Amino acid sequence: MAINVLIVDDSGVMRAMILKSLNMSGLPLGDTHQAANGQEGLDVLNQNWVDLVIADINMPVMNGEEMIECMKQKPETKDIPIVVISTEGSEKRLERLRQKGAAFIHKPFSPELIRDTIRNLMGLGGADDGGAD
Amino acid sequence: MTAEQIKETLYKVAGEVLEKLAFIFSFPEEEREPMDYSDAVIARVSFTGPFKGTLLMAVSKEALPEIAGNMLGLEDNSDAAAEQQYDALKELINVICGNLLPAIAGKQTVFNVEAPHIISSDEMMNSRGAGQPSSAAKLDMDDGQCDLMLYIEN
Repeated sequence: MAINVLIVDDSGVMRAMILKSLNMSGLPLGDTHQAANGQEGLDVLNQNWVDLVIADINMPVMNGEEMIECMKQKPETKDIPIVVISTEGSEKRLERLRQKGAAFIHKPFSPELIRDTIRNLMGLGGADDGGAD
Repeated sequence: MTAEQIKETLYKVAGEVLEKLAFIFSFPEEEREPMDYSDAVIARVSFTGPFKGTLLMAVSKEALPEIAGNMLGLEDNSDAAAEQQYDALKELINVICGNLLPAIAGKQTVFNVEAPHIISSDEMMNSRGAGQPSSAAKLDMDDGQCDLMLYIEN
């Protein structure tokens, strides 16, 4: 199964780094989409089939937490797995995200951590069968 | 946390982020003179929370293309456009600040970190005019230097 991914981050450099990590990961990638804030992310979700959302928290226009809230309210998007990649260090905020079902990766991250987190979240298994080692 | 501990934390966090995010090794050079800020690209990020303040980060202009190239995974570092180089510096200061504050104040604290901005050396001097930074770090890299200044308002 090819995984269609949406990357939501207001930093173009960070989106490029996440995409590079995904390309190194050995995960079966399909289409990759990018958005610079939560609202753009929701627009992409409305127009495309996405299997996995990778999102930052602190973004202009609509932050990652608000985007996740909106996703959870729509039947079409409420079950899409979400990985939050952020500098967020507050345990209170992280617990709120966990309660919404999101996995969390702290910046700075390694490509291996992204790969393993996605594998665990999506039940893909195969922890050591290639990718960025 | 004492002033000395905050300084040690600033050095540790900045070094780790430069290494992990930009694949750049840096070395503390506490005794050297501050950089020539007219020949640097400077970013600023402000924050509020249990305490509020500002973090400034200056990087030598000659070092920034390699940093941005490494972060973007470019084969030829000179291909990083100026806007990408600024974006790379903003991401670096954002991650440093995001890791620094809970390391100083504890993981239970909640800070609101504003979006980082690129500022001119004049704006930086105005920020510095507000007084001495609460903490500062001077790092040397292969192709340049990096100074960080943390201002905490009481």
